[in-house]
Amino acid sequence: MKENILIIGGGAAGMEAATQLQKLGQTPIIIEKSNALGGHVAQWDRLFPAFHPAKDVVEQMLANVKGVDVRMNTEVADIQRNENGFKAVLSDNTTIDAKAVVLATGFDLFNAERKQEYGYGIYNNVITSLELEKFFRTGKDERINNPKKIGFVHCVGARDVKVCNTYCSKVCCTTALKQACEMKEVFPDAEVYTFYMDLRMFGPGYEDLYLRTQKDFDVKCVRGRVCEVSEDMDGRLVIKAEDTLFGKPLKMTLDLLVLMCSMEKNKSIDAIQQKLGVANNSDGFMQIKDTYLGMNDTAKDGVFVAGTCTAPKSLPDTIAEARSVAVEVFNYINNR
Amino acid sequence: MDFGFCLSPSSHVKMDSVDLTTFNSLKETNPDINTCIACGSCTATCTAGNFTEMSFRRILLMLQRGKEEQAKKMIQKCMLCGKCTLVCPRGINIRKILLDITR
Amino acid sequence: MNQYIFHPFVLPFVLGMAFVLTYCLVGLLRIIAQLPKDDRKQFWRSLVTPKTAWANIRDLFGDCLFHVKIWKRNPILGYMHSSIAFGWFMLIAIGHVMLFTLKPLEGVDVQGFERTFTNCYYPIFYKHFATETPVFAFLMDFFLIVIITGIFIAVVKKIYSGMVGVKRVTKFGFADNMIRFALWTIFPFRLVAEKTNIMAFWWLYSIDLMIFMCLLPFTRYMHIPTEALFILLRHAGLKAREPRKGFALAQIYSCPSCGLCIDACPMSVNDKMSDNTSAYFMKKLRNKDSEEAQRIAETCLMCGKCVMVCPVSIESCDIKFSQRAATPYNINSDHSYLDVISTEAQRSGEISVNNPHVLYFAGCMTQLTPKIMRAMKQIMEAAGEDYEFIDKDGGICCGRPMLLSGKTAEAKAMIEKNTELIKKSGAKKLVLSCPICYKVFKEEYHLEGIEIQHHTQYIDELIKSGKLQVDKGDVNYVYHDPCELGRAFGVYDEPREVIESVGNLRKAKSEKELSICCGGSLGSFNLTQQERDEITENSVNDLMFNHPDEIVTACPLCLKTFARKSPVQVQDIAEIVCEKLKK
Repeated sequence: MKENILIIGGGAAGMEAATQLQKLGQTPIIIEKSNALGGHVAQWDRLFPAFHPAKDVVEQMLANVKGVDVRMNTEVADIQRNENGFKAVLSDNTTIDAKAVVLATGFDLFNAERKQEYGYGIYNNVITSLELEKFFRTGKDERINNPKKIGFVHCVGARDVKVCNTYCSKVCCTTALKQACEMKEVFPDAEVYTFYMDLRMFGPGYEDLYLRTQKDFDVKCVRGRVCEVSEDMDGRLVIKAEDTLFGKPLKMTLDLLVLMCSMEKNKSIDAIQQKLGVANNSDGFMQIKDTYLGMNDTAKDGVFVAGTCTAPKSLPDTIAEARSVAVEVFNYINNR
Repeated sequence: MDFGFCLSPSSHVKMDSVDLTTFNSLKETNPDINTCIACGSCTATCTAGNFTEMSFRRILLMLQRGKEEQAKKMIQKCMLCGKCTLVCPRGINIRKILLDITR
Repeated sequence: MNQYIFHPFVLPFVLGMAFVLTYCLVGLLRIIAQLPKDDRKQFWRSLVTPKTAWANIRDLFGDCLFHVKIWKRNPILGYMHSSIAFGWFMLIAIGHVMLFTLKPLEGVDVQGFERTFTNCYYPIFYKHFATETPVFAFLMDFFLIVIITGIFIAVVKKIYSGMVGVKRVTKFGFADNMIRFALWTIFPFRLVAEKTNIMAFWWLYSIDLMIFMCLLPFTRYMHIPTEALFILLRHAGLKAREPRKGFALAQIYSCPSCGLCIDACPMSVNDKMSDNTSAYFMKKLRNKDSEEAQRIAETCLMCGKCVMVCPVSIESCDIKFSQRAATPYNINSDHSYLDVISTEAQRSGEISVNNPHVLYFAGCMTQLTPKIMRAMKQIMEAAGEDYEFIDKDGGICCGRPMLLSGKTAEAKAMIEKNTELIKKSGAKKLVLSCPICYKVFKEEYHLEGIEIQHHTQYIDELIKSGKLQVDKGDVNYVYHDPCELGRAFGVYDEPREVIESVGNLRKAKSEKELSICCGGSLGSFNLTQQERDEITENSVNDLMFNHPDEIVTACPLCLKTFARKSPVQVQDIAEIVCEKLKK
């Protein structure tokens, strides 16, 4: 049977799911709200742990997805379940009938302004991890002015009741170390500090990255959460944290502060998600049926999930989930 | 093996004989006390910590390692301003715990 | 004694009356004896001072009998209370007038002790013994019916409190329920007894009165006699110093447990938390349950709303402070290091010697909201003010949190140090961003010659004097009154005028003195994060009532608290002014 499958989201998860479903003889249709495929990965410069260019991965994925029906600059305006599956009305007023829906809507980056004490949007030289990636890609950011002292703050908007996000965002630790090394490459004379609570180097090659960060790049890791950022007379940043290993509060003047913003559920899909009847878990991400054997399933028949819409994930995790969702959907269509 | 003498007293924290009475009773009224991730936010933001060795994170550790007297001494520097409670990423009601320790 | 004017059924009433009068007299003497000497002197003096004496008379009628304040809050409850209190008063008063007009009593003439004895129950049971003139008959029946309508409302309130505009009513124990039942039945019994003259009802009526009077000292109805004393003490200008003595005791017994504070309390977002409201605090104190009283005192947000709505004007926050102060926390704060700070601050040049005109004290909380500090800086620059930041690099706490935990001496140490630093600067004006600081600076600091302003007042002044030029935008703002700026100091108009000069002001559901605490208050020690969150959500919903585009507040703590839960942007008033500065 060849069926239409509606894939909402054209990032890594959506593209990979479409690729595999096409290979399985189905008709995937990608609905992408922006004007390009690739999602957040396309905004990244290089990927951990091996500094692999993100562009290469995205280009490969774009090549794989060739032939798939992609609706760019389009959103799902309405979706109804019927006896044949689903009927979706798109923002351009076209309708699509589909047998199954795959939610691959990904994440939003935590809005760093919500953590006012870090001074994002207040002080000029406080930037986010995403903005730093853009700097690496384009070499342009007027806020980055040959900094001599650079700080990275982990867990911005993660593991923090005070912003209502209690979960670990998984990828920021590794990203911070990767970006710290890259900063050392760009500004070899700069001193680079990272402020962490726990360094979660959970994947293959990630611990090696940590080792290189210390050995080859001389990045200094301070264990303590930055709690206040202010500006001195010269417009430099003064940060306060506790050096918990030394057991004393610490004050430091920096030229640039990079906030490792967490992943949050992409809320622009909330209305459609509600229509489909997919609930959120306590972290605000989409609820999956089972942690082990139902990670692509939701409580609703025919509605599947993949990627960071269910939890923060690394790119390899996301791709693996996208592949597995293709199999799940294929089995569902063929009643297996 | 005990040779009946030693050159200097051991500097180990003797976890086998640590007296956790205070900590355990504190835990009953403040179950949050166990959720500390030792991030040091409380200490970094502490108004009194600017000028003294006041550190809630260490007070908590002191209690867990049986150094109750030391902890109680440190608390005397507290201004009770509550900033620690405001910044704690685990939402621990730090000021209440400080008051409870001294009760 | 002539049996014509005596019947044994009056005895229960007489006994009850004798008991309650004795009890009240002893209680009165005790409270007055417990007052500190100065307070007692002040009290006697107030009784003969014409101004307070007039206020006493006015409030004794206005509050005790009519309860004007309940009428203002809720007319149905106002009627309920007035009809019972005033109606009953009139029955007694007219009864006594009758006593003198119906002389001699239906052919009987008793004198001396017998006469006195008779007088004390006669007006209550006269119908059994005599018939009155038609005018009196009408008046007595009229007021009896008025009371019964009041009781009808009370019964409705008990069954469907929502019908009289009350969400939560006070939960009562056995004695309180019992006496309430007695009160409800007294008047119907009287009516039946008077109309039918069946002996059983005269007995029931009298026994009901006895139950009521014997239970009165141990229940909330003790507020009836105590409130009169409380009004006198209050007008004498006394303050509660100990949680269960003297003036505080008078307040405790004056609390009628009416429960108006329960619906007002920000904690009443759920059943469990509503047990922390002032009505229960007073009840626990009355029942000498000091452990629970202590727990509630420590849980309270100290927002002051219960004091604002209290029909009896009980200063429950003061009593909670004194309860906290009575607790032996073992923080004997060692603040010897404060000396080091002031010298360090001077050395590093933080305290300017340039004699700035305006000194800005951000306070510890504002350190966590740098946007407010930056906005203030830009505003002062734009207005061309000669200013200095006093605590740019962290300063000494203002002392309010210490006071909140009842540590007066420790707070004094900080206050003195700050006073010294501020006076040394030679500034003429002190501007504060944090209402918590503002309150303590206003109340506890002695900074002669230095004007203390909150930044809402300061900005308002700058705009009005033309020093600060702003553009009016079309954003719809709603303003949240911080407890310690609004209720504590009545600063309601300045922030609203500032907001109207930069945008449109929408109303919140509860405003000004009824504004709901954000939930972040430092006043509470015990509330958990989850409990605070519930309070915050409720408060945000109240603010969002008229669908504003932004929530504006004037307290760094409110700002941080709301920012977590608000569906729209939350900004400090300084920030929105800063956005609209004329370029």
